[in-house]
Amino acid sequence: MPLRSVSAAYLAEAGDLAGNPGQQAAYDSTGNCVVLAGPGSGKTKTLVLKLARIMAEDVRAPRGAACITYSQECARELTRRLERLGLREAPNLFVGTVHGFCLRHLLMPYGRLADLPVPFPLAVATQRQSDQAMKRIGDRLFGVGHPNKPIDLGRHRRSVLDRTSIAWTSEAELAAWAEGYEAELRRLGLVDFDDLVVFGQRLVSEHDWVLPLLQAKFPVLAVDEYQDLGVALHRIVKRVAFDGGVRLFAVGDPDQSIYGFTGADGALLQELAERDDVERVQLQLNYRSASRIVSASEMALGEARGYRSNDPDRQAVIEFVQCSDGLEGQAAQAVAEIIPAALAAKPGRALGDIAILYRDYRAGDVVAEAVAAAGFDFVRVDTAAPYRKVALTSWIEDCAAWCSGGWREARPQLRGLLDRWLGFHRTRISEVQARDESQRLTQLLWSLRVEKGLARDFVTGMRADMLDALMAAEPSLADQREQVDRMSAALAVGGPLADLDLASLGGRDGSPLHLNLLTLHSAKGCEYDVVIMVGLDLGSLPWRNELPAARRESRRLFYVGLTRARDEIHMLYSCYVDTGRGRMHWGRSPFLDELEARMEEAEGE
Amino acid sequence: MRISRVKISNFANFSEIDVETGESIVIVGENKVGKSNFVRALQLILDPGLSERDRQLGLEHFWDGLGEDKLGETIEVAVEMTDFTGDPRLMAHLNDCVVDPGPPMVARLTYRFQPKANLGRDPESLADYEYIVFGGNDPEMSIGPSLRRMLPLDVQVALRDAEKDLSSWRNSPLRPLIEELATSLDEDARAEIQEQVNEAQAELVSHDEVVATAERIGQRLIAIAGEQHAVPLTLGLAPTRVDALLRSLRLLIDNGARGISDASLGTANLIFLALKSLELDRLVTDGERDHTFFVVEEPEAHLHPHVQRLVYRYFLGSGGDDAEQTPPLTTILTTHSPHIASVTPIRSVVLLRQDAATNATIAVSTAKAPLDERDEADLQRYIDVSRGEIFFARGVILVEGDAERFLVPAFAEALDIALDMLGITVCSVSGTNFTPYVKLLGPEGLNIPHVILTDRDPNGTKPPLVRRRLINVLRLVEDGVNYTPLDADAVIARAEAFGYFVNSNTLEPELFAGGLAEAMQEVIEQELSIGQATRDLIQGWVDDTDSLDDEQLIKVIERIGKGRFAQALAPHVDEDACPDYIRQALEHIRDAVT
Repeated sequence: MPLRSVSAAYLAEAGDLAGNPGQQAAYDSTGNCVVLAGPGSGKTKTLVLKLARIMAEDVRAPRGAACITYSQECARELTRRLERLGLREAPNLFVGTVHGFCLRHLLMPYGRLADLPVPFPLAVATQRQSDQAMKRIGDRLFGVGHPNKPIDLGRHRRSVLDRTSIAWTSEAELAAWAEGYEAELRRLGLVDFDDLVVFGQRLVSEHDWVLPLLQAKFPVLAVDEYQDLGVALHRIVKRVAFDGGVRLFAVGDPDQSIYGFTGADGALLQELAERDDVERVQLQLNYRSASRIVSASEMALGEARGYRSNDPDRQAVIEFVQCSDGLEGQAAQAVAEIIPAALAAKPGRALGDIAILYRDYRAGDVVAEAVAAAGFDFVRVDTAAPYRKVALTSWIEDCAAWCSGGWREARPQLRGLLDRWLGFHRTRISEVQARDESQRLTQLLWSLRVEKGLARDFVTGMRADMLDALMAAEPSLADQREQVDRMSAALAVGGPLADLDLASLGGRDGSPLHLNLLTLHSAKGCEYDVVIMVGLDLGSLPWRNELPAARRESRRLFYVGLTRARDEIHMLYSCYVDTGRGRMHWGRSPFLDELEARMEEAEGE
Repeated sequence: MRISRVKISNFANFSEIDVETGESIVIVGENKVGKSNFVRALQLILDPGLSERDRQLGLEHFWDGLGEDKLGETIEVAVEMTDFTGDPRLMAHLNDCVVDPGPPMVARLTYRFQPKANLGRDPESLADYEYIVFGGNDPEMSIGPSLRRMLPLDVQVALRDAEKDLSSWRNSPLRPLIEELATSLDEDARAEIQEQVNEAQAELVSHDEVVATAERIGQRLIAIAGEQHAVPLTLGLAPTRVDALLRSLRLLIDNGARGISDASLGTANLIFLALKSLELDRLVTDGERDHTFFVVEEPEAHLHPHVQRLVYRYFLGSGGDDAEQTPPLTTILTTHSPHIASVTPIRSVVLLRQDAATNATIAVSTAKAPLDERDEADLQRYIDVSRGEIFFARGVILVEGDAERFLVPAFAEALDIALDMLGITVCSVSGTNFTPYVKLLGPEGLNIPHVILTDRDPNGTKPPLVRRRLINVLRLVEDGVNYTPLDADAVIARAEAFGYFVNSNTLEPELFAGGLAEAMQEVIEQELSIGQATRDLIQGWVDDTDSLDDEQLIKVIERIGKGRFAQALAPHVDEDACPDYIRQALEHIRDAVT
């Protein structure tokens, strides 16, 4: 029986790459390769096809490939696209976050042998446990109401790996807090997500024997969204690739690095790309945006990248819109004028093709209120969303998609849903158990199929029959359970999603009938016909008096917003912001001034 | 890759064993001691052919010594592997199983049959039991069938029906070879064969006699059923398609005169092993396996001793020192034949024997015996069929040469110590180098009780040779003793406690003086034509044993051959003539094994 059961579907699609030298070069690479991929340049497609090719041609089970990406959501998108090429997650194909990778493929198999100072079996703290420990120690060290922020604690832990360095001790309060917090976690027998990566990094750095084992299992390591991953992963990557002989395929765009506050650094990818033993591939062609949007984005970035639109003749709208009445006025303008006009501008365009982007959830509240008042259905992705997207909630949504009609065309595939369910178990389970659970789950999903029904009944049914038992049995899911509980609460009578029907739960990503409300950070990786950015005033984007590094990141955030658009960009501002100390007339965002000036200059020529 | 350690608890004959193993494994032991169960234990972890039901054990699989207290106990089998870091595929398979990063890196697989984890009460029946197979130290790292499929344990059971296996196409190890042959034939060759077959067919069926016979049958058919119901008949060969023809190829012996079914059982077994061995090569080449643990149970069945030794040499012979050349194969054999033991690589022996006190089978091995390279080479050279018996013995008497080998059993009989019944073997080391044997039999090796009989060998004015000889052996069994101030008699006294006994001179003169003078005279005169002078000389010694010239006597005996002389003398010995050191040794070993 041949073990090479990888589908050859990738071969058919790979033909498309021929017209794009960058994509073809990446696809043909045989050694370490860094792909610098501008917005809309088909980076995910390139990555997915390359992974499929590697799985089919370069490795054979039990050896395989690991693909690390920024978030659960990104991993899910990659998995979905790999599935379409006939590739499923398998013991020799890992697709997931850096935390998942460190947990499953570094700490679980080798952590005990390396005698790492963490409690085994590993138990990851839930968000709540972690927050409480952090607060307890912070209050004890600095008194209640102290000014140190958890986000800075996290950044310090992630970005300074050497605890004996001056960089660590120079921020004395953060260092003391971090050490106290970690001791508190250990006392509780816990580790947190940052620990996973920090200890994963220590494991590969300090123990040579780990390298050949890892290389044996994963001779190829792919990393997506490299610019958003921190210095710990960068060290892991360099160690396994350049000391351990693992072949690296890294993809990213330093210009879209917007997670500096978590310790990420776009320069790390640049550093890899410049090495002699790495092939550097630049993807230049933008398949997403009209020409004017491509060039406007570059002007906003203030760097010449030489990106070209694949469709130079397409018309674009780029509007600077001043609105009275601040953020409320901007939201009202979007709802009353821009959205109806945009819908009318192109036949077949639907609400799902339009997105309103803003800086944080407070702005999101304002926008959501205006949108709801106008009677638009919408999907909201920010920290104020009814529930956060985690693997389990995403899986529930996909099951909903299957049950509300997706089963007819196998979108998503049942097999994939079953595999992901089995994957929620902390470790591999016995064959008998796996078969039994797959059977029960199939029966359950089959029985929950309805054409029209409330999402609430579906989630209740899923939980009662299988989900609650799983979450009770798997302590590692405690954190995700919080989100499932929030999902249930939102769907309950009187909750914000009480009326949501099953199809909409399943189609909450990219539903054609829902307007998209997102923070700029959440919009990364998405694309829309029409992008409406609100709150482009000084004091909001950027904040006032930002240090140069923060200012550069704000600019990249603005760039990310612009580059989401295919056809239209609407930039809304009021020239003032409302703050805790009243309305401040600081003017509109300097990014807009620059952009408008440069566009005039360019178009005047 | 090789198995480096096997631990079994509470399974079948085994209460608790923990044995380290070498490059290959030869499991040696008496019947019923648990050789097959040792293999069964390995199968629980590594045999892809075992079903889930097979892995769900029954009460009869618990160690018998547990008696009525089986429920609640846990059966566990653990196998450790090493020497796999040269192959990344093996490393990938064993990734989650590493228990020691080394070097050498060690991976462990464990099978456990235990009360269900979340039972919350004592198990009431085996329905409350479950089995898990996991890697490393973490029972949650479950091992699935894919690993077993790629690193399988392939068992050829004892006394299998090779003839039947060969005649059923589906199970035949011949089948993959024929199928490979079929796919390798190109179109031209097929066409040519087809044409030749067609020609032969045409020629045969057009032969007058053949046509006539077919017609006779046809006519009778018409006579019975009438023209309407009778079908037209011809005689011909079937099948004639090339693929079908290839499938009907059979192994023939004696230049095609006979089929396998006419072969002796031994020949059929041998052919089966050859085919199996070819199949293993193919599976690895085709990438369907990354390593095979090939188990043959008692391949000596039906085989002539010479052939037994050849077969074992073939399967145990490694591909040389070059790691690239070594096939990805670990051979595991079971045997109760000393013929096999005599060709076994000395480091590969795993000895199973019953512990009289507990009735449990215990396991010992040579893998970690403190043998150096020279010892290994010595043992490998000297262990022949008769010395191979020591692997099966409950006690061993090590002697210098053939004289003792024949006389010690005779004295034992005279003393009423039944060596065979006690399982005691007399083993000649052909010289005085006892060290490798003591290392092999000592507590770090096979742990078999043993005694040594050796000569004092006076050395003029220097200390007798036995002093150095005993010190070499004592160093292996006791620590921290400074022998420098001890004279020969002190060393000899020390050695007696360990079962090492020394005479006062040399065996034959001692026997002569000890009461066998007349018997020895008789044997010499029978075996040798000697002149009157020598006769008189010997008569003188017989008359006055004090006048015996030791060297002269030995010279005479050596003309006969010490072994032959001893054999002839054996019927004459009696209890009274038994030298003290032999008596002490016999009593010592008797007490050690009972």
